[in-house]
Amino acid sequence: MAIPIIPRGDVPPEEIPAFFNFTTPPTNGGIKQVDPLTPTFTFARNLLVDFDLVLPDGGRVPMWIIEDSNAPDAPPPLPKDALRRNFPSPAIRIPQNALVRADVLCQGNTHTIHWHGIEPTPMNDGVGHTSFEVAGHFFYQFQPRDAGTYFYHCHKNTVLHFEMGLYGLLLVDPPDPANPSVPVTYPTGGPGFAARVNPAAVALTDHVIHYDVEAAWVPDSIDSRWHLLGHDAFMQISDPNDPVNPANFTQDGILNDFRPDIFVLTGIPRRINDPTPITAAENPVFGPLVAPTVGVGQTLLARVINADYIIQQFTLGIDAEVIAMDGRGLGIPPFHQYSRPFPLPAGTPFRLTSAMRWDLIVKPTTPGVYPVKIEFLNQITGRLLYTARTTITVV
Amino acid sequence: MKRRDFIKTGLTGLAAITVGNVKIPGLFRTEAFAAGRTIDLTMEAAMVEMVDGTQVFHWVFSSPLSTPAIGPSFPGPALFATAGEDITINIKNTLKEPHAFQIVGTRILTPPISPGQTRTVSFKAPAAGSYLYIDPLNDPVNRVLGLHGAFIVIPATGNTPYSFPTPMVQQLFNDLGTTPQFPRHALSQVGWDPARFRIWLHHQIDPAFNAQAQADFDAGRASTVNSAQMRANFLPRYFTINGKSGVFAAHDHATTIEGRIGQPMLVRILNSGLYTYSNHLHANHFYVTSLNNVVQDNVLFIDSQTLKPLDRIDWVVPFIRPPDIAGDPNIPLRELIPEELALTIPGAQGSPGMPQSPLPYPMHCHMETSQTAAGGNYPQGSIAHFDFLGDVDGVDFPNVIE
Repeated sequence: MAIPIIPRGDVPPEEIPAFFNFTTPPTNGGIKQVDPLTPTFTFARNLLVDFDLVLPDGGRVPMWIIEDSNAPDAPPPLPKDALRRNFPSPAIRIPQNALVRADVLCQGNTHTIHWHGIEPTPMNDGVGHTSFEVAGHFFYQFQPRDAGTYFYHCHKNTVLHFEMGLYGLLLVDPPDPANPSVPVTYPTGGPGFAARVNPAAVALTDHVIHYDVEAAWVPDSIDSRWHLLGHDAFMQISDPNDPVNPANFTQDGILNDFRPDIFVLTGIPRRINDPTPITAAENPVFGPLVAPTVGVGQTLLARVINADYIIQQFTLGIDAEVIAMDGRGLGIPPFHQYSRPFPLPAGTPFRLTSAMRWDLIVKPTTPGVYPVKIEFLNQITGRLLYTARTTITVV
Repeated sequence: MKRRDFIKTGLTGLAAITVGNVKIPGLFRTEAFAAGRTIDLTMEAAMVEMVDGTQVFHWVFSSPLSTPAIGPSFPGPALFATAGEDITINIKNTLKEPHAFQIVGTRILTPPISPGQTRTVSFKAPAAGSYLYIDPLNDPVNRVLGLHGAFIVIPATGNTPYSFPTPMVQQLFNDLGTTPQFPRHALSQVGWDPARFRIWLHHQIDPAFNAQAQADFDAGRASTVNSAQMRANFLPRYFTINGKSGVFAAHDHATTIEGRIGQPMLVRILNSGLYTYSNHLHANHFYVTSLNNVVQDNVLFIDSQTLKPLDRIDWVVPFIRPPDIAGDPNIPLRELIPEELALTIPGAQGSPGMPQSPLPYPMHCHMETSQTAAGGNYPQGSIAHFDFLGDVDGVDFPNVIE
């Protein structure tokens, strides 16, 4: 008896153009913006730019990054363009509720920027197959209503472009509750205010906490083999009349087979066989964000983002509290009133998978050097691949 | 051409079997009714076509004795029952090695079923929620090679999907459609309509193991696929939701979450494979109301979430207006973004392109190795679509037809 066949799906003839758009997204075709409003906050980004990630042994990994072409020269001893070109790509800070216009220039190839966790219209969401990929300039427009931790990344052939490094921090800063009508952004590294539910709040703008020091743990891992691939690796031009031709969907690629050999904590890399802890001194841009120093009685805000394709397990050697997830302050009314912050006692591990963001606060009471451990685990076997270590120094 | 030309019963996709008087959305490939509260399932072999046309051997469920009959299904038919109801499931094994039937997270389990044998399991449907049924033998081989499906239990009473909601989940469902943050769509009678749900059953295929099982099947012998080898070496090439990948999954109306602002939807998310996902929804954060059949007390409102092997997770997608659309939130979208709603961007290579309305967004796994078939045009793996069809006041966006 012949074994029955279960087909892969239906293609109604009238949906052929929709299927084609999905398999071969259009470009913006000269459209620079839709439904424009007067912005209150603007910035620019340029992608992509080639960047060499330098390993401790002098080895180099080719990365792609997103440039902030308007950033000033960095002060010595930083490299002059460290604020313009870096990995992760330069952070964006936006005042909460600002009406944003982002001038994104895509050159050399088509790209997009997805403002991860920000929820605008599809054409401002930066996903090729539900809108378009960008050639030249596009002005993305959105208005972030919730303060918190986000990130931005290219969403073209994302499996490759995100791995290549096309991402950066995107932080939405709440106003100082003493001046709630004044839009502000805070210096990266602190001090500032962050969203946290406040039982004594009178106004919604009271749901914040002041922090003195800001940390950012953005672990990522790198499969060196992938970094030798081209922009459109394993993709192909498909036929508008036959968008589901089997040839569109496979090239015997390796994009299902992620075997990291380099592990990165907010841009600071280690080879898989190098257990050296990460210190503040070794990278003047990202080191203080990874290995912060905070005083007794002060408040540390740590923003944690999995920018990886594998599981990450975090363990802090000091008590913390989880105050927000994915750009939403736990417990803040009206949308978040069904949740609440919760304690994270020292030594309690937690796991994040890709794109999950947690905001933690630490209020240290005793001087010392407290360990922070990040374990990288295979997403299928759960096998431990690497352990990154850094510290929180309390003075 | 319309994005919403509605294919009610295609040739593929989820099939459903209901027990008693459960109401389901009318989106399934075949909808059968289990007479006498008895469900008949048969385990058999089938070739399942992958997104790239490759036919991969699987063990699957069918239900030839139900009315109407349900042919071989990948995943197995979704089973629907009401909490506390008496149910009997007869499972026939037509394959060449022992199999069994289990509902994960319950004590519902058959002994091994020998080749050619039929076994019966009778039970009272457990507390309302989203369950996964699998063949637990040779764990994880038998479920990974295709013997799995969704088992959905509806509560006997109440306005939530649960028999025993926590106070926070009860409050959330009380608030949907009744509070300023959750305005009810003008044409909706209730905050959350229990028929507004979807199942997203996630699975992965590493064809090397299926080929081994096929060779055994063709030789007329019991499977030699080894569980330890599968756990150590599983490298999925294909990723499916409800049995489909990429463009096929995104265009399956039984998988797409669609509705108007103010029409919340429950999504029942299951993982029958071995891969850990990180599901990211665009356009709305979602509430996590149940995790592995534990109704949640601290109801997170997040945009990305881990889905581990065998996990059962419920999301409430609130269908609030995407909050970060620039401009006055009191102006209807049809007035605030008329250009975008009217726009059709020409497609590549002279294709007519697609209208931007209704507003399309993706849900995709952010681990991203789940988004291709090893290579091929992105994204052709674990993805679903999320479409907004109209404003909260009852006026639909362009191109919406029912």
